[in-house]
Amino acid sequence: MPIAADILEALRLELRRGTLILAVLGTLRAEQYGYSLKTRLGEAGVEIDEGALYPMLRRLETQGLLVSEWREEGKRKKRFYRLSDDGAAALAQLTAEWRAMNGALETILPEHGLKKKEGGQ
Amino acid sequence: MTDLVERYLAAVERRLAKDGAEDIIAELREAIDARIEAKAGEMGRDASADDIARVLKDFGHPAIVASRYSGREYLIGPQLYPWFWDAQRTGVGLVIAISLIVLCLRALASDAPVEFALRSFDEVIEGAIFAFGLITVVFVLMERTKADLKLASSWNPKGLPRDNVRKPKSMFETVFTLAFDIVFILWWTGIVAIPNNLPGQGNSMSLQFAEAWLGVHDVILALAVLGMATHIADLIHPAWSRLRAVVSIAGHAVGLGVLWVLLRAGPLVSLEAAAAESERAQALSTSVNMSVTIGLAVTGVIWAVMIGTEAWRLWQSLRPRAAAAGPA
Repeated sequence: MPIAADILEALRLELRRGTLILAVLGTLRAEQYGYSLKTRLGEAGVEIDEGALYPMLRRLETQGLLVSEWREEGKRKKRFYRLSDDGAAALAQLTAEWRAMNGALETILPEHGLKKKEGGQ
Repeated sequence: MTDLVERYLAAVERRLAKDGAEDIIAELREAIDARIEAKAGEMGRDASADDIARVLKDFGHPAIVASRYSGREYLIGPQLYPWFWDAQRTGVGLVIAISLIVLCLRALASDAPVEFALRSFDEVIEGAIFAFGLITVVFVLMERTKADLKLASSWNPKGLPRDNVRKPKSMFETVFTLAFDIVFILWWTGIVAIPNNLPGQGNSMSLQFAEAWLGVHDVILALAVLGMATHIADLIHPAWSRLRAVVSIAGHAVGLGVLWVLLRAGPLVSLEAAAAESERAQALSTSVNMSVTIGLAVTGVIWAVMIGTEAWRLWQSLRPRAAAAGPA
């Protein structure tokens, strides 16, 4: 029986939730403003709603992981974000954690998706 | 064209805390403008109202966007939620039980008990809704203030109920049984009087307990109090089914003893009547006594079956432990 679309979507969202923060922190090693950050993430294959991205940026800044400043660029005032020192340290730790987890998962997950049960069961 | 954007931003701002709202709106305006500009660049023309509406819809509903800035996505979060329903079950259950008892007492004291009870039943429902609301408000405040009750970390696995054979009684079953217990005790102790005129005989004949009951009066009272105590325990700790089984077996065994004493003692009820009615009262008394005797005998059989059932359940709940203990 195929997996219901809503169940799969819920699992996908759960899987993505933690990784989005890592992707945002990783991208902000170089200074970005909101729209350019979203574009960069999209180019890397990480899609995120703006309605979720901007609150996340603000939360990360409140937590001291990002710093921001308003600057004028291309006739418009934009808010530029980059990693703080604490953010860089957090990114290093989270990256190590991610790689360890990824390595562990690689040994568990099959290379090309799940095989059908052996013996035609 | 920008009217839509301003209306959208105003809808978000209305839902934001004042502190920092201006900064958030400025950033959202910049982000939306950048999106609209990019869209116009892709299309090679100015964005229409429909294009802008699509951009705003992609951004998300103003209520959702604003809520993400508040950092409070839950009314009652996953740390407190499991205890929320436990608290509701106990709190609302107690309020319903107390309200029903009060209602019963007031109904019995009134001229038309049934009518009074039906007329006043909405007070019980109002009490239950109020309790539900109050408990919800308490939990919402605990969530807001991040109250750490350490409920999830302070539990002891050794305190878990041992038996899983029997499903706990439902809250409503327990509540109604408890209400009945209390009304019975109040009647048995004479605190509340229930009319004992024989139905269909006006006020000319009244039913009285015979002397046989005097010897077992206190034992019956003790059994009723014990029953009430176990029903209160059911409400607070519905999983204490082993304790309930032991108390039930003991209570029903004593109850069988009481029935035995009563059935051997002779007349169980007497009819008091005016002198003119004494002959008819005598005849009625015989048939009423016969009915009560049969009723008590049937009750004895039911209780004996209940003792057997409870004993079997208790044995079932003990068996897995013995098996799990393994060889000595």
